[in-house]
Amino acid sequence: MTDIDPSEYSDVWVFVEDHDGDVMSVSWELLNEAKTLVEETGEELVALVIGEDVDGVVEEAIARGADRVLVADDGVFEPYRADPYGEQFRAMVEERKPSIVLIGGTHTGRDFAGRVAVPTHAGLTADCTEIDVAEDGVLQARRPAFGGNVLATIICEEHRPQMATIRPGVFEAAPPENDRDGEIERVDVVVEEADTLTEVLERSTGETADVTEADRIVAAGGGIDGDLEPIRRLADALGAEIAASRHAVDEGWVDGSRQIGQTGKTVRPELYVAVGISGAVQHLEGMNDSEVVVAINNDPNAPIFDHADYGIVGDLFEVCPELADALEGAEQPEVTL
Amino acid sequence: MTHNPTIVVGIKQVPDDDEVRIDPDTGRLDRSSAPAVLNSPDRNALEAALGVRDDVGGQVIAMTMGPPPAADVLKEAVAMGCDDGVLISDIAFGGSDTWPTSLTLARTAEYLDADIVVCGEETTDSSTGQVPPGIAAHRGWAQLTYVEELEPLPEANQLAARRDVEGGYERVVADLPVVVAVAFGENEPRPAGLHRKIYAENEFEPVTVDANDLDIDEETVGLEASPTNVGGMETIEGVDRERTVVDDVDELAEAIRSTEVFA
Amino acid sequence: MTEIIADRNTETPDYDDRFDAVVVGAGLAGSAAALTMADGGLDVIMIERGRYPGAKNVFGGVLYTPTIRKLADLDDAPLERYIAERRYGMLTDHDETAISISPGEWHEPPHNDSYTVFRGEFDEWFAEQAVDAGATLLTETTVTGLVRENGRIIGVKTDRPDGTLRAPYVVLAEGGNSLVSERAELKETEQRGNVAVAVKEVVEFPDDDNAIQDRFRLTGDAGAAYHYFGEGAVGDAFGGGFVYTNGETVSVGLAYRISDAVSGQPNPEGTLNAFKTHPAVAPLFRGGRTVEYAAKTIPEGGADSVPELTHDGAVIVGDAAGLVLNNGVHLEGTNMAVESGFHAGKSIVDAAEQGRTDADALSAYAENLEASFVMRNLRRYEWLMEAVENDREFVFRELPQALADAGTEYFRIDREPKESHAENAKERIMEAVGGYTGAAKLALRYRKIVT
Ligand SMILES: Cc1cc2nc3c(=O)[nH]c(=O)nc-3n(C[C@H](O)[C@H](O)[C@H](O)COP(=O)(O)OP(=O)(O)OC[C@H]3O[C@@H](n4cnc5c(N)ncnc54)[C@H](O)[C@@H]3O)c2cc1C
Ligand SMILES: Cc1cc2nc3c(=O)[nH]c(=O)nc-3n(C[C@H](O)[C@H](O)[C@H](O)COP(=O)(O)OP(=O)(O)OC[C@H]3O[C@@H](n4cnc5c(N)ncnc54)[C@H](O)[C@@H]3O)c2cc1C
Ligand SMILES: Nc1ncnc2c1ncn2[C@@H]1O[C@H](COP(=O)(O)O)[C@@H](O)[C@H]1O
Repeated sequence: MTDIDPSEYSDVWVFVEDHDGDVMSVSWELLNEAKTLVEETGEELVALVIGEDVDGVVEEAIARGADRVLVADDGVFEPYRADPYGEQFRAMVEERKPSIVLIGGTHTGRDFAGRVAVPTHAGLTADCTEIDVAEDGVLQARRPAFGGNVLATIICEEHRPQMATIRPGVFEAAPPENDRDGEIERVDVVVEEADTLTEVLERSTGETADVTEADRIVAAGGGIDGDLEPIRRLADALGAEIAASRHAVDEGWVDGSRQIGQTGKTVRPELYVAVGISGAVQHLEGMNDSEVVVAINNDPNAPIFDHADYGIVGDLFEVCPELADALEGAEQPEVTL
Repeated sequence: MTHNPTIVVGIKQVPDDDEVRIDPDTGRLDRSSAPAVLNSPDRNALEAALGVRDDVGGQVIAMTMGPPPAADVLKEAVAMGCDDGVLISDIAFGGSDTWPTSLTLARTAEYLDADIVVCGEETTDSSTGQVPPGIAAHRGWAQLTYVEELEPLPEANQLAARRDVEGGYERVVADLPVVVAVAFGENEPRPAGLHRKIYAENEFEPVTVDANDLDIDEETVGLEASPTNVGGMETIEGVDRERTVVDDVDELAEAIRSTEVFA
Repeated sequence: MTEIIADRNTETPDYDDRFDAVVVGAGLAGSAAALTMADGGLDVIMIERGRYPGAKNVFGGVLYTPTIRKLADLDDAPLERYIAERRYGMLTDHDETAISISPGEWHEPPHNDSYTVFRGEFDEWFAEQAVDAGATLLTETTVTGLVRENGRIIGVKTDRPDGTLRAPYVVLAEGGNSLVSERAELKETEQRGNVAVAVKEVVEFPDDDNAIQDRFRLTGDAGAAYHYFGEGAVGDAFGGGFVYTNGETVSVGLAYRISDAVSGQPNPEGTLNAFKTHPAVAPLFRGGRTVEYAAKTIPEGGADSVPELTHDGAVIVGDAAGLVLNNGVHLEGTNMAVESGFHAGKSIVDAAEQGRTDADALSAYAENLEASFVMRNLRRYEWLMEAVENDREFVFRELPQALADAGTEYFRIDREPKESHAENAKERIMEAVGGYTGAAKLALRYRKIVT
């Protein structure tokens, strides 16, 4: 085992995930949160931008809090692939020795993080929901474990960097400050197309909604059985965003960017209406911090009722339209004669 | 692979999610009483692997790293139709995090001459999803994660996949050997045949390998070689909810209206 | 591929006729049969549809263990509490009149062979005893039909691919919802009048550690079995309610005629809720939280509806054969299931020794069962169901009301002499039973309950 000296490692890195110029909001959430980490340690906050023609993204990274931006700009990085990303990232880590590396826990982030952590023998904590730094500079990465019953603190004392993927939606992004200063540094691109192991034939992305911003959410589950109409109707009446359980996403009824839960987004709206959702732990993990939770389910034993403020046992196809009617009535201004 | 690829599937025994309970007296997590089951995303991995075998032939071998009772999940895999099962067990592996775990599985895949390694999306106990990319990284192999569908291309010695990218999908081809992580719930795992199941549960004995067989230096695995450690655990206090079940929609509307959301 | 793998043979063997017997269902009857056959040297396979034996099995329940005790060592069995008190309560919609029996003997082993258990745990343990004796257990597999050749039953079909398994003997131990036996026309579909629906909840007391000891006046492993009938239990349906103490939880449920459930009677859930909130019952469940809800059917056709028990190549045991005594005073099926499994298993061992599979070779099962407490008890109470059905209004409504009124009168405190209270009480009873003649008729009709 190669022993390393942790004191040779410094700075906090945040990976800025962009696809064709679209930046995943978790990247900005992390940049904002990482500001508090470097305040503790007095280090630099470094953003990593990998892609092709990413100047706009680089500018925004500075506006969002980066002191320095490392840019690897090359055609080999668009569209995203694990092997070139991992290889490039690894080379940068080995050369510059960051102490902490934060990556959004998206499919992309979770895809390549291991390709960096393995060759550098870094500690990698997956899917964190809380982070801070102890006095000795050791990252305290917290994540739910065992079905969300426990919050485990994972630390990495003897290896560097300390890497973590962070679940989208758990931190707030700050608005960009366009007058911020920061350094931009273009790095050597170490990957060549000829060395890549994979080829993307086709990529198709629809809208990527950001449900983490919504104040009110109506979430669809397996119970909707392919019919989104009752959900739309209720969401309209409430002025709410539509989200979904994994079941509804897997079936293709709702777009993946709207999935709530352990492998989706974490949301904390004022109102969360779970419609035809059983309440599996993996789902609860993503919505348990909502202010008020309402459950509509036809199974009185559904676990969701234990995690809801108000529940109704009934057929969602009847309850949703009726509830929408009742609520719309409420929104009418009262007329006093 | 050209033809008859060796497909190795990584599967893990985990405590049954539904049965993990908080001990009411101590407030501690009680895992011991939870029965051990096959990590459910790994069923999708097995199905995907067997699907490739249906298409192009070859062998599907399940591997699991864990203590001897973990052999049970291999029996389940063999019942589903795997040709064989390998138990990777050694005291030296105890306390491994994802780094040594993926090293060990990568070595086993190599030992078995794997052309394709198929894993589940993540385990329900540690839920890192890091092991499959870790296996690929240890060997420098290609990887395909969040895979919805596989399409073997034997002539080109490649594997094509449809991957789930949040908000859409992409189609990727990878050179062999390749590590695949199948998205949870993407396929319908096949039921075990009756006679195969009787055989798997009652007669089948897995191959057992240890660090020595795999030529693994004991210092590179286990607790010592794991960069991460668990620094502490706290039980999460469940959010206190009203848990009021109302009788009709009007009452529900009233309840919603009375919340601050509408203030 | 490496040699270590290439050299191995993992082909699927053909298990047809590799087992002597297939047992359909690893419930109490099935495991008793499998254990008996395995002890007798036969190769047995139990096929169970649940994830493990007992996973979904529902009963009240008090397990009666006189036969199990002979087959296995109960010391390490997962028992909840022994029954130290039996209480019978008659409920009107707001009165209760009850008697309670708690003999000192019940506190001593073997505790009158009556224990509350959770079937999920007990059935799994019992099946394990069969496996330890050499039986094979196959779970998560549902038998969908029987295979016949020249009229003889020679195996089973399952819901799995490649799902047929041949074996010389098939034991049908599939419980009350006996689809396989019915489909194979080994028995008729139960008439509605002969089937009770049963619903049951398990209630825990998160905020009261001593709820069970305090509310049921228990110490140590002692437990209570409360039975209720009358209008306050199941409305005007034919049936009754029960409350049983487990280790840390209480089971509460109802069983009533499916014919009533289909007509008039509100849904089982609603009926159970009404029962749980009856003023005599509600205090037992104060602060309780339901952790489990289940519904099931109980055959209660009595001796008359027991089908032909032996066939060429097959026997029927337990609830599948309708072997349940459910008459309001007794609710016993577990002991009958085990007893029948035991006799069936023995008869197969004997027939196998002779190399025969025909129904005649298995007839010892039916004969031994006939001579055992199982058929004798069923026959003994056959008349009761009929009598109660005829006197339904009286038994479930008038009598509980009259007893409650009589009690009210008898113990009334006012400024009248006791003589007049006693007179009023007597009058009330006499009115309900139809005078001395009526009372004598009733006594005659129901004497066999106690004699
Ligand atoms: C590794 C892993 C990661 C996971 N990540 C996530 C995640 O991020 N997010 C997530 O949500 N899940 C996740 N899951 C899946 C999770 O375990 C559950 O399978 C999933 O949440 C179930 O979704 P559901 O409740 O919508 O569907 P179901 O379990 O199918 O439940 C449907 C519900 O609808 C009710 N219903 C049916 N019909 C009606 C009707 N007409 N009216 C009213 N109610 C009706 C039913 O009673 C039932 O309760 C993950 C699982 C694993 C193993
Ligand atoms: C609510 C209720 C309360 C009761 N209370 C009591 C009580 O207090 N005391 C008492 O002594 N008795 C009681 N009984 C009756 C008692 O539960 C039964 O008599 C007893 O369980 C019968 O045992 P069995 O083995 O015949 O059937 P079961 O216990 O029903 O077992 C049948 C088994 O077969 C399996 N199976 C069924 N079909 C198939 C198939 N096609 N393929 C594979 N497997 C299959 C089932 O999963 C099950 O494991 C009660 C019953 C009910 C419903
Ligand atoms: N101990 C193990 N043995 C075999 N495969 C494993 C093991 N741990 C993880 N895997 C595989 O890697 C996947 C992801 O696991 P994880 O990274 O732990 O979430 C699982 O679904 C398995 O396919």
